[in-house]
Amino acid sequence: MNYSQKWYDKPVSKLILITISLAWMFPYIGFVLSSFREPEAIKRAAWWNSISGGEIISEFTFQNYNEILFAENLSRSFFNSFAVVIPSTIIPITIAAFAAYAFAFIDFKGKDILFLFVIAMMIVPLQMSLIPLVSLMNKGAILFGLPIIPELKITGTFVSVWFAHTGFGLPLATFLLRDFMMGLPRSVIESAKIDGASHLTTFYRLALPLSIAGVAAFATFQFLWVYNDFLVANVFLGINPRNQVITSHVAQLTVGNYGEEWHLRTAGAVVSMIVPLIVFFSLQRFFIRGLVGGAVKG
Amino acid sequence: MSVKSDSNKLLVFGVRVVAFSFFPLLWFLSQAILFREITNKIPRPLLIFLAIVVGSTFIFLLYAGMNRIISYAPKNYQEGLYGAMFVGPAIFLLGLFLFYPAIRTIYLSFRDKWGENSVGFDNYTWAFSDKIMQITIRNQIIWLIGVVTLVISIGLIVAYVSDKLKKGEAIFKSIIFLPMAISGVGSSAIFKFIYAYRPPPLTQIGFLNGLRVTGGTDNLGNPCKNNIFENGKKIDYVNDGCTQPIGWLQQRDLTKFSTFENVRPDDTLMSWFSNFPLNTVLLMIIMVWMFTGFAMIVFSAAIKSVPAEITEAGRIDGASEARIFLSVVMPYVKSTIVVVATYLTVSVLKAYDIVFVTTRGDFETNLLAVKMMDEFSKFLHFGRASTVSILIFVSVVPIIVLNVFRNKEENSL
Amino acid sequence: MRKSLIGLLLILSMVAVACGNSLEGEEVLYFGAPATDSPDGIAIQSSFEQFTEETGIIVTYVGSENFESELLAQIEAGNPPNIALWPQPGTVRAQARAGNLIPLEDLGVDLDEYRANFSPYLVGLGEVDGVPYGGAHAVNLKSIVWYQPAEFDSRGYSIPETWDEMIALADQIVADGMTPFCFGMYSNGATGWLATDWMEDIMLRTGNGTTSYDQWVNHEIPFNDPIVKNAATYLSQIMHTDGYVVGGTDAIVSTFFGDAQDPMFERDANGNPGCFMHRQASFIPGFWPEDAQEGLGTETTFFAFPDMEVPSDTVLGAGDMWAVLVNDEATQEVVDFMLSENYFDAIATNVAGTGSTRISAHIGFDTSKYWSATTQKQADFLKAALAANVFRFDGSDNMPPEVGSGSFWSEMTELAVQGPSYIDSALDNIEKSWP
Repeated sequence: MNYSQKWYDKPVSKLILITISLAWMFPYIGFVLSSFREPEAIKRAAWWNSISGGEIISEFTFQNYNEILFAENLSRSFFNSFAVVIPSTIIPITIAAFAAYAFAFIDFKGKDILFLFVIAMMIVPLQMSLIPLVSLMNKGAILFGLPIIPELKITGTFVSVWFAHTGFGLPLATFLLRDFMMGLPRSVIESAKIDGASHLTTFYRLALPLSIAGVAAFATFQFLWVYNDFLVANVFLGINPRNQVITSHVAQLTVGNYGEEWHLRTAGAVVSMIVPLIVFFSLQRFFIRGLVGGAVKG
Repeated sequence: MSVKSDSNKLLVFGVRVVAFSFFPLLWFLSQAILFREITNKIPRPLLIFLAIVVGSTFIFLLYAGMNRIISYAPKNYQEGLYGAMFVGPAIFLLGLFLFYPAIRTIYLSFRDKWGENSVGFDNYTWAFSDKIMQITIRNQIIWLIGVVTLVISIGLIVAYVSDKLKKGEAIFKSIIFLPMAISGVGSSAIFKFIYAYRPPPLTQIGFLNGLRVTGGTDNLGNPCKNNIFENGKKIDYVNDGCTQPIGWLQQRDLTKFSTFENVRPDDTLMSWFSNFPLNTVLLMIIMVWMFTGFAMIVFSAAIKSVPAEITEAGRIDGASEARIFLSVVMPYVKSTIVVVATYLTVSVLKAYDIVFVTTRGDFETNLLAVKMMDEFSKFLHFGRASTVSILIFVSVVPIIVLNVFRNKEENSL
Repeated sequence: MRKSLIGLLLILSMVAVACGNSLEGEEVLYFGAPATDSPDGIAIQSSFEQFTEETGIIVTYVGSENFESELLAQIEAGNPPNIALWPQPGTVRAQARAGNLIPLEDLGVDLDEYRANFSPYLVGLGEVDGVPYGGAHAVNLKSIVWYQPAEFDSRGYSIPETWDEMIALADQIVADGMTPFCFGMYSNGATGWLATDWMEDIMLRTGNGTTSYDQWVNHEIPFNDPIVKNAATYLSQIMHTDGYVVGGTDAIVSTFFGDAQDPMFERDANGNPGCFMHRQASFIPGFWPEDAQEGLGTETTFFAFPDMEVPSDTVLGAGDMWAVLVNDEATQEVVDFMLSENYFDAIATNVAGTGSTRISAHIGFDTSKYWSATTQKQADFLKAALAANVFRFDGSDNMPPEVGSGSFWSEMTELAVQGPSYIDSALDNIEKSWP
């Protein structure tokens, strides 16, 4: 089939890939290994020496994982995470998908300027808008003496975190999904319009199903960011342990105030990776097939 | 006729207002108040359940309602109104959550420490004259150039090369993508473990220092090893002549390395090289490791959209692989590169976790986002913090311009 | 009819019970920097167990690495914690000035009694315009040098009582082919604080002693005054004399302060320890490896920082300070408890088993309660100093943050790297940065 490929193409590509993959995997190896070693052993001998010396087998322990997995209230934090993550993923994607569709297929006044506005908003640093946003969700907003948002006092409830993550995720989601939809064949959308379908119908029946790969990809990104975040969660949900999310909980367990507790750090990082990995591997077919309209164009 | 068109215009204006503000506001407020009221009144498991179900689906009511209203508008105005309806909520939320804070930040950047009095451009003068700020800006530029070029080129290579494989494509891509699943804090911990330094005579548990102290012999001819017991005898690296470990994240230049130890000041080239900001680059690598997966996925999708016949035709004509890549594949992914570069630029300017948990800006490793938080929460100087945040904002202007051109190009297609 | 009567009675009695003990089940949130599940966090939480049992008020301690920024956000969000614990009293004063804190008087605290119990000096650290906001809590002792008596004895070394004796001992150790000092000052975002501690200890013992120390901290003498320069020269002698510190001068800034003493517990191929002396605060045993912690007070103990030009009993220390952000009845109860003598019982007796080395700032606290003899000795030391008003708080914590957690740290780091020739520039730069 690939009759025209040069003889060296394949080995060379494999070599390049294997080199890069090994480089990418390397940081994990020592880290994951160390999560199964006794605390004192980590400090006594370097992990590669413990492999070459064979001590790795006698040092093997689940003790580090026990300390984290059987911590009090870990399941509560786990459920909190889901109550935060799922709406914080769906809301921004929905809003962004609608906006992306409009930017790609509808002609309306001020389209270009509004799109630039979206791009510009990508850069508002999260850390800087935290405080005004928190104050907005608490005390409302007043513009030119006009109260546009009343005093809501919703800090400390899940809904405030959803709004915050929606705000922070929206610009990028709109930007990426618009790019994705631009790649869809315009003729298909146009012909639907000629058939008299409304934009809402076209969006639900055509644009959304065709861009499902892009939506899934961004959903994964947003899921991973929200799940891994705890700054926003801590700020908006408050510091009451009742509202703690899982990543924050694991971080609390692994931070010794006495220097680096490597045995807990490593095990904790592995534990907090579990959910992202499940999500990643269950959605990965969308990635591997490709993000941008592979199904349509390819 | 004119009366009718006027009333139509009024109707259209009304619907526009509804789409851009009234409906999103209604959605925002009703969801906020609903959950505020139930939070402490219903049992926790029910709250979690409602949060997941209602929180995720409530948004669809917003669009269904707006669609209803638009259907009452005159047919020939509907196109524009649909635009408003589809874009309205996004613009509303961005305006409320991001634009409003941004305006407040601009205002604060001209105020003093607590935001009480106006200080003119004092904070901006400080931002460009302060020594630490100058280094922070330099680092930000290094990160911008380094991360964007490295991530894009490695991502592009992996995407292009793995595309040609029949088997194993998924495995390679998964390995590269995996770091995306880890938080910035987690990734930094992983690399801190590689860069770790412990004072001699302790065992070096960090890989780089482990390599450094192993090998060679001391002045008496004994081998240098990383505290290994052989036949009950400890072999360490503390004697004179063995290479000593260094704190990698504390090396802001290369003067601690033997090659650069005795550089003469008149050796311009060598002393220029010896200023290489090692620690900044080592931290930057963490971000490259984390973000290459993203770029690779996006590029891989774009490359798959290149019609196979074209590349095959090129191969039959005997064009080299590099030539096919440059003249056939590149035009297809050009626009994708802009997308990825935009995203990366934004991410680098916002980068916070990595530096925060590794050095927190010590030894000339600071970045703007970290500096901003330091001014804000450590020095409680809201004026300067706002100014740094404006700098971050301004840095993205070139990228916006780039996107304007891309936008024009696409629209003209 | 009867049933409903009984029901009514039941409800009434329940209401009565609830009214009688209205604070039952009230929650008080206590926010600080040490992580919730870290040894320090667990120790803090353990100090409220008894209190909760007696009063029914639930005190929850929460810690966070992002303490400062999260607290600012919580204040802005309108749901701040009831009580916050700051690592530095300077921040308490800044927050009080910003109007975020409640004066202790409004919480029903008897100020005279409070000053008598914790010394006017400590209380004064949390005051703005004479109004106390901050609650003194735990203190630590900094004017000490850790060493291993057995290693000293077997080599015939004796504890140095003056600076010159310490230098002579160091030279002796170098001549014997070993390293005298452990010295590590890397600390994420705060690198340099160890050198500022050294500077403060030296300042207390040179020039005009505590008088010039106070002038220096309050900026009544410039930072590049000859007295300060003299102190920096002493410090540079330790940092920059060949062979004095583990790993050489380069290692000072690279070594994490918590790892710095580990070489003392390690033996090289000849059975010699990596270092002999380590000047560090009373909390450092928490950072030692587990087996070294077991030898606290026996294998490893401390001697007082040696005398210098001005012989005195001055003691340098530091500590954290709490303040109240939300005033309610339950919080007032908690505040009352935290200022009482027995608040520190649980931490002192090590109920949580985390081996806390915190020392109560309460002068009346019975030091025999401390679980470890070493802590007891340090507490006696501190108590005497507080009572005699020769206790001085870490000066950098009391300087404006631009200096105390900014230029003072960074210029001392630079000094360690650049060597003695940099002393003048370092001091000039710090002087220039004073707001």
